[in-house]
Amino acid sequence: MKIAVVLRQVPDVVEELVISDDGRSLSEDDVMYLTNEADDHALEEALVLKARAGAQVTAVSAGGDEAKEALATAVAKGADEAIHVAVPFEHRGDNARLASVLGPMMKSAGYDLILTGVWAADQMDAGLAGGLATQLSLPYVGGLVSMSLDPNGAHAVVRKEFPGGRLGVLEVSLPAVFGIQSAEQPPRYVPVSKVLAAKKALRVREQGEPPAVAAGVRASKLVKSGSEAKAEMLPGAVPQVAEAIVRILRERGIA
Amino acid sequence: MVVSAESLLVSVEGQGTAGDATDEFLRRMLKLPMGDKLLSCIQCGMCSGSCPLGYAMDFTPRKMIAALRAGRVDDLYRSESIWLCVACFNCTYRCPVGVPITDRLIAGLREELLGRGVGVPPELQAAFERTSRYGNPFGESAKKRDAWTKDAGMEVPVLHEGDSAEVLWWVGCFGSYNKRNQKDTVALARILKALDVDFGILGSDERCSGDLRCTSQGEEGLFDVLYQHNAEELAKRKFKEVLVGDPHAYNAFNKEYRRLGTPLDVSHYTQFLAERAADIKRRSKKEITAKVAYHDSCCLGRRNGEYEAPRTLLETVPGVRLVEMPRNRENALCCGGGGGANWLDSYIWQRTRVPLAMQRVQEAAKTGAEILAISCPLEVPRFEDAIKTAGLEGRLQVREISHMLAEAMGLNGGARP
Repeated sequence: MKIAVVLRQVPDVVEELVISDDGRSLSEDDVMYLTNEADDHALEEALVLKARAGAQVTAVSAGGDEAKEALATAVAKGADEAIHVAVPFEHRGDNARLASVLGPMMKSAGYDLILTGVWAADQMDAGLAGGLATQLSLPYVGGLVSMSLDPNGAHAVVRKEFPGGRLGVLEVSLPAVFGIQSAEQPPRYVPVSKVLAAKKALRVREQGEPPAVAAGVRASKLVKSGSEAKAEMLPGAVPQVAEAIVRILRERGIA
Repeated sequence: MVVSAESLLVSVEGQGTAGDATDEFLRRMLKLPMGDKLLSCIQCGMCSGSCPLGYAMDFTPRKMIAALRAGRVDDLYRSESIWLCVACFNCTYRCPVGVPITDRLIAGLREELLGRGVGVPPELQAAFERTSRYGNPFGESAKKRDAWTKDAGMEVPVLHEGDSAEVLWWVGCFGSYNKRNQKDTVALARILKALDVDFGILGSDERCSGDLRCTSQGEEGLFDVLYQHNAEELAKRKFKEVLVGDPHAYNAFNKEYRRLGTPLDVSHYTQFLAERAADIKRRSKKEITAKVAYHDSCCLGRRNGEYEAPRTLLETVPGVRLVEMPRNRENALCCGGGGGANWLDSYIWQRTRVPLAMQRVQEAAKTGAEILAISCPLEVPRFEDAIKTAGLEGRLQVREISHMLAEAMGLNGGARP
């Protein structure tokens, strides 16, 4: 069983997000990255499957150098192999492009299972897993909360949460691409010393980026969202408040 | 007579039981300073008897060592007792032969479990992850560490590379980020200014000192990374002494940083100010008319033997009548927040049902004290929560000594405190 997990690096919103001078993207110098939360769950699910039935887990990270940190952590947690795909800053949020970069590489590697988070914080759509499935002509289900594989690796039984508190159990033939909502257990902790050791010993396979594709969606503007209307509290005792309300209503021509 | 390390290992190996894992554990301990002391245990049980949570442990410290001798470390790895330790240091303090139970035995067992990724309470993992990523256990931006200075109502000097000051003030995570602790941080800043102390802070280059999160908790790798960062940043500035607000940082600097090659002339703020008590007393005009009980923090008291400085300072405040709780100084009851336990409250509560902080505020209230004075920032949120739970609101207040001094000196009010 060969499992690939895609670990996207997304801007950490704990740090202030600075809009760059072009007015339609984030300032690269100010961005701190972290692994997309749902992708972290995808890795955990892969490691759970590995522990249960044995599997070769490949961590694939797309982005700049910071993506290698995520790979070291993945290897320290138990991934067997690490692949780094360099993607320029301005293209990292574009799923169509990511899928077109990752698809051909995954096709030749012959994975039985490709897992990634069902969504990512910086994406223009939630479509990476679906895009990959299209690229690879494989079945896709997203929003999964757990799965089990049959012993001969022919199909997977996956559980998907539907709105309204319904849990679907679906049978999917393998190979397939799955979008993980949450792993069946919280992502494991790995001590810093192990991550540092993994970083030192890390052997990353570099995967270059193929020629650009014409993206269908283009960001034209990125602005700080703010509330357009704000509530004003009228202070004071009841007579003053009443007076203030009357004044406001008169000012606006309502009364 | 002390049993030699080798003879214990040989005897364990000789049994041909589950000794391999135990051997491995003991060999690791022997490489650490004082690690060989683990083998000097005389099984007197003083540790277990003095542990405030020993009653809830299937393996008390004495039993843990007995299990090691029986070659059964695996039993300990399966025990939840490892995560009940609040690093109060009672066991180590009381041990007649000086076995470093908190810093070696408990830390070593936790390190092993962290390495295996099994049985580690998720809340503690999350705190480790945040500390590793942001340099503080709250998951706040490292860049915002000195944001509190904006509300200080005074200019707080930030030392950058190459800058110098007489005193480098290590503010710490709680003092920097926790809204409630920030009031006390500002109070201390104003006191330093009033006393004409030439000081500066590290600003956003400061990270968790490592003690609270790490040294007795088993995340040694995380401690190493924090130590490296902090030692490098300290080396870039010139200063004569270090002033810390958090006793845990005091402990880390005093013990671990020194051992690792960064000797600092460090004092806790109560020690620093106690040397200036006469000056403070002269400037203190405003009365705080109240009965005050002082809670000895574990890191300042049992771990580092400082009991008098905080009391000396409280006596400078006009109107204060100092009373003692029955358990004071080296017998003080822990607030329950050390050794990472601040992030294990629900885990420990589920297994003990009587929070230490709650017991402590009840003890304080019984003395008739109206103020529970403290010198460790963790105790503010811990005791304030406990006061609410214990129904003591309105009867007992928790106050950092710095905040009381600043009030007496007429420095509070204005922008923040």
